[in-house]
Amino acid sequence: MLKINNFTNYILKDISFSLNNKNLIILGSNGAGKTTLSKVLCGIIDNDSVTINNINPSKVYGDKKTKLINYIPAKLDIFDDYMSVKEFLELNKLYSNLKIDDVLDMLEISYLKNKSCKTLSSGESQLLLYASAVLHNAMYTILDEPTSNLDPKKVKMIYGNLQNKDILQNKIIISHNLNLSFKLGYDILYLENGKIIFDGTSKQFFETSNLYKFFGSSVKKVDDNILVDL
Amino acid sequence: MRITLILLAVFIILISPFFGQIELSLKNIIDASKMDYQIFWDIRLPRTLLAFFVGAILALSGLVFQTIFRNPMSTPFTLGVASGATLFTAIGIVLGFTAYISLFAFIGAMITVIVLFLIVSRFETVQTSSLLLIGIALSFFYSASLMILFFISDLQESYEIVRFTMGSLDIVGFENIYLISIAAIFILTLVKRFQYNIKLLLTSHELAYLKGIDVKRTNYILLLGISIVVGICVSITGPIGFVGLIVPHIIKTIMQKSADQLIYPIFFYGGVFLVFCDLIARNLGTVSDIPIGVVTSFLGAPFFIYLILKRKKSL
Repeated sequence: MLKINNFTNYILKDISFSLNNKNLIILGSNGAGKTTLSKVLCGIIDNDSVTINNINPSKVYGDKKTKLINYIPAKLDIFDDYMSVKEFLELNKLYSNLKIDDVLDMLEISYLKNKSCKTLSSGESQLLLYASAVLHNAMYTILDEPTSNLDPKKVKMIYGNLQNKDILQNKIIISHNLNLSFKLGYDILYLENGKIIFDGTSKQFFETSNLYKFFGSSVKKVDDNILVDL
Repeated sequence: MRITLILLAVFIILISPFFGQIELSLKNIIDASKMDYQIFWDIRLPRTLLAFFVGAILALSGLVFQTIFRNPMSTPFTLGVASGATLFTAIGIVLGFTAYISLFAFIGAMITVIVLFLIVSRFETVQTSSLLLIGIALSFFYSASLMILFFISDLQESYEIVRFTMGSLDIVGFENIYLISIAAIFILTLVKRFQYNIKLLLTSHELAYLKGIDVKRTNYILLLGISIVVGICVSITGPIGFVGLIVPHIIKTIMQKSADQLIYPIFFYGGVFLVFCDLIARNLGTVSDIPIGVVTSFLGAPFFIYLILKRKKSL
């Protein structure tokens, strides 16, 4: 059970919700506070409001923390020039039964194994980050825009992968890809100016009236797909 | 390539004590009645060992600072830690505590690290460029303070301070060698013990944190350790710049491995680099030895620039 109670800082305003062994999608316009909320949940931003199974992840270290929650940023950030993909993944291999080679195969990026992480393209980096999430396999994994740099085929692959219940435990996904969010069918949290203004099921959220309320005329539902209407 | 490098390094270390203003012969150094014996055992060998350990410590410190502050230009020198040690050593000289200058150097290094930490903890995230600017500002502040010291000190003290700030590996006997070798082994052991944490820090502080590392504690311990050993180095040799900056980069570029795999090579070649520079400083045929810092920069800078240009092409 993941809980956050009345958290407020300079971006977020009075955030409370709970998640009991379920997946979640966090939506919201740019600058609404989605990434900040993720950093609070995983403890990168120190707080007294979050608990996962009654443990506050920002107050513990070692496997007490790593078991509970993992956060995958939108961009891969590596300082070292020569750290290879394999080395990077070894640092992330914590609770998954899968081997590094299996995960690379699954995501069709085995050819990257011995490359330096710094030389990857943005799409490749994003797949590498996803691979690291799979290998870490915490109880809750927050994925910050996991498909923003991927080509359509790769988006579909990640979509398929996310639906496989054996790969990641509970997922919290931040996304601007409404169609992906819609198809995944997870519960939705919608943030605006640091406040939660919607907390409910996917079905409720993607009703036409709600879509108009949140996105105006920029989004349309066509043949059971959510499209950006340009 | 790697084996050639090791052989060359060992060769440099072995021949180093034999060359200088007076050339020594192998036969005479084991004959206690000869002058060569005393020069070798009391001056040359301690000097080579001092150069090796100081170079090793400075190079390893550079690696740790670059990792913790996530900036390729961070070293105990660029962030003002060594300048702090230098200033306090000078204060020690002026106050007449010549016997305790190691302590003064250590205090100077520590105060600087504490100041840096206080500043870093005020940032929301680690802002390395601001930190570097602060380090530069601190260095200027310290050198201004050093100037004030010159004006209030007498001629003899001023001379001592000037000689000290030039950096020198002049040493007689083994007393300081014990200290510096213990310092070197201490910092090598410490860094080795934190190898896994360092590897995680080489990705990002956030990632290290998410993999369960207490990042603040790791940083505190490593920086404290570095301050102690850099303080010791500076108190014995004065400030010797540039080694900590270039050796980690040179070794990384040559070996092309992530930095945590290079702890031993950076330690070893840092030592060899300073022994080599000292060998040159002692053998240029000038009236007295050229200050070691002059040689490290003179040799290191062009090679460093060459490597950076070469790397730009290969990436």
